[in-house]
Amino acid sequence: MTEPLLFADIDEPGLNTLDVYARRGGYESLRKALTSTPEAVLHELEASGLRGRGGAGFAMGKKVSFLPKGSMDKYLVCNADESEPGTFKDRELMQKCPHMLIEGIVIASYAAGASRSFIYIRGEYQLQADMLDAALVEARNAGYVGENILGSGHSLSLVVHRGAGAYICGEETGLLDSLEGKRGNPRLKPPFPANQGLYQGPTLINNVETLSTVPTIIRIGGEKYAKLGVETSTGTKLVSVSGHVQRPGNYEIELGIPSREIIYGLAGGPPEGRQVKCWFPGGSSSPVLTAEELDVPYDFNSLAQAGTMLGSGAIIVVDDSTPILDVALKVAKFYAHESCGKCTPCREGTNWTVKVLQRIEDGQATPMDLDIMASVQEHIIGNCLCVLGDAMAMPIGSMIAKFRDEFEVHIESRQLSPVGASRALEVAGA
Amino acid sequence: MPRPQPRTITFTIDGLEVQAPENSMLVDAAKHGDIEIPVFCYEPKLGNPVGACRMCLVEVEGIPKLQTGCSTPVKDGMVVHTQSERVKTAQNAVVEFLLINHPLDCPVCDKGGECPLQDITFGWGKGTSRFIEPKRHFVKPLELSPLIAIDRERCILCYRCVRFSQEVSEDYQLVLQERGAHSYVTTFDGHPYVAPFSGNIVELCPVGALTSRAYRFRARPWDIEDAGSICTLCPAQCNVSFTVRDERVVRVLARQHPDVDDGWLCDKGRFAYQAIHVEERITEPLVRDGGELRPASWERALQEAAAGLRRAGPRTAALAGGASTNEEGLLLARFMREGLHSEHLDTLAGLDPAELHRLSEPELQATVPDLEFAHTVLVIGTEPVRDIPILDLRIRKGVRRRAVKLAVATPHASSLDAGARLALRYAPGADAAFLQALAEALYGGEVEQAARAAEADAEQLRALAELLRTGGEEIVILYGQRVLAGGGAETLLKLARGLNLHGHDGAGLLAVPAGGPNGRGLLEAGFAPGYGPGLQALPSGETAALGAEGIRAALDAGELGALYLLHTDPLRSELPHEQWSAALESASTVIAHASYLTDGLRAHANVVFPAESYAEKEGTIVHPDGRLQRLRPAIGRQGATRAEWSVIAELAQLCGLDLGVPSGSAASQQLFDAVPFYAGLTLEEIGGRGVRWQERDAAAAFPAPSSGRASAQATRPIPGANGAHPPTPTPISLWDAPEVEFSPSLKFLHRERVSA
Repeated sequence: MTEPLLFADIDEPGLNTLDVYARRGGYESLRKALTSTPEAVLHELEASGLRGRGGAGFAMGKKVSFLPKGSMDKYLVCNADESEPGTFKDRELMQKCPHMLIEGIVIASYAAGASRSFIYIRGEYQLQADMLDAALVEARNAGYVGENILGSGHSLSLVVHRGAGAYICGEETGLLDSLEGKRGNPRLKPPFPANQGLYQGPTLINNVETLSTVPTIIRIGGEKYAKLGVETSTGTKLVSVSGHVQRPGNYEIELGIPSREIIYGLAGGPPEGRQVKCWFPGGSSSPVLTAEELDVPYDFNSLAQAGTMLGSGAIIVVDDSTPILDVALKVAKFYAHESCGKCTPCREGTNWTVKVLQRIEDGQATPMDLDIMASVQEHIIGNCLCVLGDAMAMPIGSMIAKFRDEFEVHIESRQLSPVGASRALEVAGA
Repeated sequence: MPRPQPRTITFTIDGLEVQAPENSMLVDAAKHGDIEIPVFCYEPKLGNPVGACRMCLVEVEGIPKLQTGCSTPVKDGMVVHTQSERVKTAQNAVVEFLLINHPLDCPVCDKGGECPLQDITFGWGKGTSRFIEPKRHFVKPLELSPLIAIDRERCILCYRCVRFSQEVSEDYQLVLQERGAHSYVTTFDGHPYVAPFSGNIVELCPVGALTSRAYRFRARPWDIEDAGSICTLCPAQCNVSFTVRDERVVRVLARQHPDVDDGWLCDKGRFAYQAIHVEERITEPLVRDGGELRPASWERALQEAAAGLRRAGPRTAALAGGASTNEEGLLLARFMREGLHSEHLDTLAGLDPAELHRLSEPELQATVPDLEFAHTVLVIGTEPVRDIPILDLRIRKGVRRRAVKLAVATPHASSLDAGARLALRYAPGADAAFLQALAEALYGGEVEQAARAAEADAEQLRALAELLRTGGEEIVILYGQRVLAGGGAETLLKLARGLNLHGHDGAGLLAVPAGGPNGRGLLEAGFAPGYGPGLQALPSGETAALGAEGIRAALDAGELGALYLLHTDPLRSELPHEQWSAALESASTVIAHASYLTDGLRAHANVVFPAESYAEKEGTIVHPDGRLQRLRPAIGRQGATRAEWSVIAELAQLCGLDLGVPSGSAASQQLFDAVPFYAGLTLEEIGGRGVRWQERDAAAAFPAPSSGRASAQATRPIPGANGAHPPTPTPISLWDAPEVEFSPSLKFLHRERVSA
């Protein structure tokens, strides 16, 4: 692993203050960017090959270039509604190094020609929002945010907006509706936010980690950044490892290293005497992989080839002490609870799935229910207004496909034993 | 603004080459090839598609994912599949998903038999369900409002009602609460959904979740018949369809006319049908006997009325209003002029027909759709939601979807203020003074002083003038006819000339008639002092033709003996109550056609003939933009009620005049023959959609108005002339009507009026 970029100074005491951040070279990238043209900055971003760190993995430079040219009001929105189960990397970034995000936002807004920006932060992140607010005051006073930044003629307003606790507001168009003061429901796409986003204006939406990477790219240059990682997944990535590992936490890795190295090497693997049963490579919405698939290189394309996705970069490890049914029920309940209810397949499909899983849990199911549930997942995938429905259907579908035996054993043993009997038996039998 | 004129493209759908307008949504484009793509949430009237129900998923070649047909614009050469395995699987799946929480209580559901969910389940569903879990439950049904019941278990969350409330009527009352499968439609804090257009959500609902409380359990679709006609409860003249069961109107639905109502109805139009079948309705002739009105035979009533009219002869006056048809106006005018030799006929509005003549020139006429496509709309002296509700929605649509620049100038705060670029106020009664001040502002005159006379803000007047000058040439002025008094008409014409509205397509004037829902028709049929059919000025006789105010004064002075009231009651109008009460008291004979015994009639009428309700009437009426529309009877006349044209004809006969109308259609024919610019019209041509006479060749026969002609009754006080505006009564609300008062379900909206 090369030197960390985002986490280089992350544990430096006081890094959240402008003083320490500036001493560590903070806002130098902004100065550098503002001395060149927005086109040149955009060129660096495109050259870096940086892919969005929020979940979809769309090339960031390309996204910026999609914004129409012209003098209309353009917006930049930072998606800090980090709500995907297992994901906590943005939290650490905002809490320990808020100025890096602010610097990234100002540089990106310069490239995109945006004059108003917002950080939409998850409501539960109260501490982080307070830290951002404090950092923003410092940045404003220092002239990094506001009118005519550093005499460049570029102006940017920046507002930290706190969400109210809905997962769906992390979906970019749901976020925009919420930011506009409406119920946070996803919008129909097209039009895409780059053309018609916030208040109908062209809008660039990026994740915290993506924007926090921007100063680094400007500092070392896009082409040099692109040399890190592998061809289609450049650079470094923060990975949140959680679940049954000995050293859970955020790790900055170079994309393309074997997943085993993260789970076992960095996070220490499952506790003594336990085995990995399955793992989510990119948050709870990614299809699960098994212990046999631990050597998949951790990058966008390799994971896609393995039938899953890198998503938000949150690895959740499940060991053999946990019945797969518990995992499925937890995941399904989360998405059924968070479904906004706007489109039919997601609203009804997530709800249906929970009810069937609950019935399995209660010993009222037959193996036929597994077929029904698998087909329900197929009916959800690709048919929804946004990706929330898929976010449940993909992992549940993968669990049924990969752990069908365990589900069946569970169904049968449940039918035999009285409801509420000890579960140790079933787990052992799995 | 230029109307959209899409080019026609060719695309392939299910192997069929189909031509459709470019960029129309696939679900609409498919219809050109007779292919139906099922939808629930898609409804173009509600604005942009939302793609929520996912029922319309189709396969478009070149796009990997299935696309929603409701939101995919069709392009040249597109290849679409609606019958592939993939699409069918998705359609089956969506139907299955929609039904898992639906109670399937079709046998007891009002919607059963006319339910899109039933139809689509039948056409695109699998017919089986694999869902065996308990369904979602809600307390039901609940009163969403006194008019609407909501059954949340039946709701498929298509968002139509919420979008209507948020984006069409803009009352912002309906919202969704909770999330996911627990979402439900409600209002903030559970307050009743009371709004002028609330009933539309019942018709929009694609399932039985929102039902009309007035119609609930009254009929099943196989019990009923539909009958198309026109609602004549206000000048908007919306096209409606009466649902009839056993000779009773049990429901009113919109009959969607893009040039009239855009497919919406106000709650009065939707629910006031109930007043057709109430005890308060007059269904037999009444004659005053021993100081009280008592039921009488037709023979006696006709004899009594004829005797009174014969006695008064030329000292008779007639006032018409309400839902009087053109034919009734024409026949009554003929009876008055030819039978009784009286020239005193008018509507209660008492407007100068010479001025109305000049204002109704075809070249100056704006249409209803013009309100939506204009660059600028100026609403002046009228509150559309009160006077002509459906235009309120049309104006909102223009502002919201086509960025029409709206200016509102009224004496009172308007519900359109929120969407207006400019909202101006002036003193009640100062309409003419305000118009004068606007003219000064437009033509660089002395604004300050003129503004002071109207008690308006000079700065805002200048801003309005600027908006009218620079906002684009297509300007529509929607005005209440109240503004015409006291020289307002002259100024309005001057403004129209100055703003170049004359002969400019998409621009012009649109009046909200003050003389009742068919005010324009009555004028064109010749029911106006000194003006015959087709706005032809009559040679003035020995005595001047009196207008409404003249009639009142003459009655008061004992110069007139008899008064004929056709669907109108001065004591239910905004005219001074006491003065009219005295005038009616002085009349020796008062003959009325009425559906309900309103104050003036109860106290003063000698003979009351039962009036047909609008669901029973035949004839024609004229929309404020010149569209002749046809009334067709949906039910038989109630009780002993007779066709009113025949009542007038019989009375004329008894007074020695043969009007020569053997039938209702003969009366219409007489009208078409009498009005030169209706020449050649037939009832068939008017048909179900109506026809604007301005668009026919015969419009050339519109008599050129002689500008500056001394009017028959030009002597009116000019408001503000002596420093004070004349006292003006509060305008009568649409809801202040017997139809509202006597409809069991609308009654709650009625307010007792405090008479001045």
